[in-house]
Amino acid sequence: MLCLHRPKNKTQVDKEMASNTSEKTKRRGASQWAVAWRRFKRSKAGVFGLIIVMAVFFVGIFGSFFAPYPARPDPDAYQPFYEGDVRKPPGWKYLFGTSSIGTDVLSDIIHGTKYTIYVGLLVTAITMALSIVVGAVAGFYGRWVDNVLMRITEVFLVFPALLFILVFVRIFMLTVGEPFWTIPIINIQIPTGLTLVILILALFNWASNARMIRGEFLRIRELEFIEAERALGASNTRIIFRHILPNLLSSVIVVSSLTIAYAILLEAAVSFLGFGDPNTITWGQILQENFSEMRTVWWAEIFPGIAILLTVFGFNLLGDGLSDALNPRLRE
Amino acid sequence: MFRYIVRRLLYMIPVFLGISILSFFTMYAAGDPINIIRIGRPTVTQETLDALRRYYGLDKPVPIQYLNWLSNLLHFDFGKSLYGGRPVNFLIGSWAWETVKLQLISILLAFAISIPIGINSAKKQYSKQDITVTSVSLFGVSMPTFWLALILIIVFSFQLGWLPSAGAHGTPYLWFGNPILDEIAHLILPTTVLVYVMLAQNIRLIRANMLETLRSDYILAARASGLSERKVIYKYALRNTIGPVITYLGISLGMIIAGAPMTEYVFNWPGLGRRFVDAAMKLDFPLVMGITMIITIMTLIANLIIDICYVYIDPRIRLR
Repeated sequence: MLCLHRPKNKTQVDKEMASNTSEKTKRRGASQWAVAWRRFKRSKAGVFGLIIVMAVFFVGIFGSFFAPYPARPDPDAYQPFYEGDVRKPPGWKYLFGTSSIGTDVLSDIIHGTKYTIYVGLLVTAITMALSIVVGAVAGFYGRWVDNVLMRITEVFLVFPALLFILVFVRIFMLTVGEPFWTIPIINIQIPTGLTLVILILALFNWASNARMIRGEFLRIRELEFIEAERALGASNTRIIFRHILPNLLSSVIVVSSLTIAYAILLEAAVSFLGFGDPNTITWGQILQENFSEMRTVWWAEIFPGIAILLTVFGFNLLGDGLSDALNPRLRE
Repeated sequence: MFRYIVRRLLYMIPVFLGISILSFFTMYAAGDPINIIRIGRPTVTQETLDALRRYYGLDKPVPIQYLNWLSNLLHFDFGKSLYGGRPVNFLIGSWAWETVKLQLISILLAFAISIPIGINSAKKQYSKQDITVTSVSLFGVSMPTFWLALILIIVFSFQLGWLPSAGAHGTPYLWFGNPILDEIAHLILPTTVLVYVMLAQNIRLIRANMLETLRSDYILAARASGLSERKVIYKYALRNTIGPVITYLGISLGMIIAGAPMTEYVFNWPGLGRRFVDAAMKLDFPLVMGITMIITIMTLIANLIIDICYVYIDPRIRLR
């Protein structure tokens, strides 16, 4: 409907709108999210992905309670070694076998899960923050700002990121002092080296997401309701934060899920090549430790890989399912 | 056409400079590069460090060092390795060829295989074949490159003993002592890995684009005028489908080529990637910077070739 009268003042209009929407949602009983969830439930692949992801989170959070052996710095982790069970193939005692240095592969995988989640979530959070800022500024302000930012993005897209990641990780790993940093009040230990790897991964991975967000920004900026908002005299910040960003939310969620998957793969690669944090036994680290004795301890190479594969597959499925549920436009 | 190529070349200059600046300053990322050499070698004296600093020109102001390095780079002089002091381009030369060989074969193979599969699964959307292809390719995207390589080695070289597990050449030659067959035997596993990884991406892209193209009006028109299905798809639809796929290839080339370290590391392939992992481990800066720049240049050249191919596929580009 056309707004013919001048709005009395902003807060009043806001209040009216707010009460309006809340009333409507109450009456309809189905918010946008409920609709999306209903649509999401219909895709078997998406639900399967969600189940995998939830299982991974479960193992990551509660894993230390049911792992057969404690996590690595604890000397008890080397119990199989003391019992002379180095390089034991999978069996009833050691479900996934023991590694070439005499640890239980299953326990290593369980304890590595939390690091995988940490990597996936933190890399994605930083990447998305960076790419939303770059994409929003470039897409909204256009002209030379857009030009400069897109040239920079292009450099980050074309150049061989993995090479830079490896060198940076190697250099900065030398500067790491304490292996763990404890958060004061809640008493959670954060691995310093792994956090460093995460920061570097995020620094080199925002480019393609920034491009996507810029594209969406450009598209939404030209829509009628933004024009209407401008005519009502809304400021740039209001348009960006109240009107464009909420519209981006669904794409951001979808891309986040895929970015988590990619981040996990990248971290595994960095660790596998031997550049990872030696104090945190991530899945890539297990693969690296047993790589030279692969001919004998093949089980220590296969099972951590399956863990990576399943987790990444789960996040990819989830991302696909979410994109079907949240962006009906993109479907077919 | 000529103007188009020149424009693309000019376009690459800022990208090249950007990467060269980044590459140069990685050396300074954690402070003085000479001090990094000192880590783990407490016996190195101050005089030696000063001499090294002078030898590598690190006593000059940083911008001048960068310009020096850049001008040397343009003369194909990448400096000398910190270990053994041999010139970098001498070290890189033979390795670059092995990487190019591996990558080129895999990219071509991946395209040759993925186009028909992608088209077919788009043609029969939601058929059994399509669902198999899409789920398998999603699985492929989720698989760590190096892990697939590990599995292949475990199965085909360790358990079955059919193929060599490492290197690019055997001594003596494998497979009847024939040098060409020997090369093929060594290529099979690494190319399988690279092709599989690219295949998954390509098929997903081709399928998505094909689905979009098949729904456009001109395809309907082509069908309505009674052209055979084969002609509609391969002559009319494919041209519009392949464009975005090739653009994507251009963007992802950096990643594909830079992904080489993983495959090359697992197969102990004597290529740039393998050498890069060693150099980065030892923080051999001249070698690291040299390989980064060579890979960057390779990526840019590949991008240029793609841009030129693009004109043939989509003539509208030339008019712009």
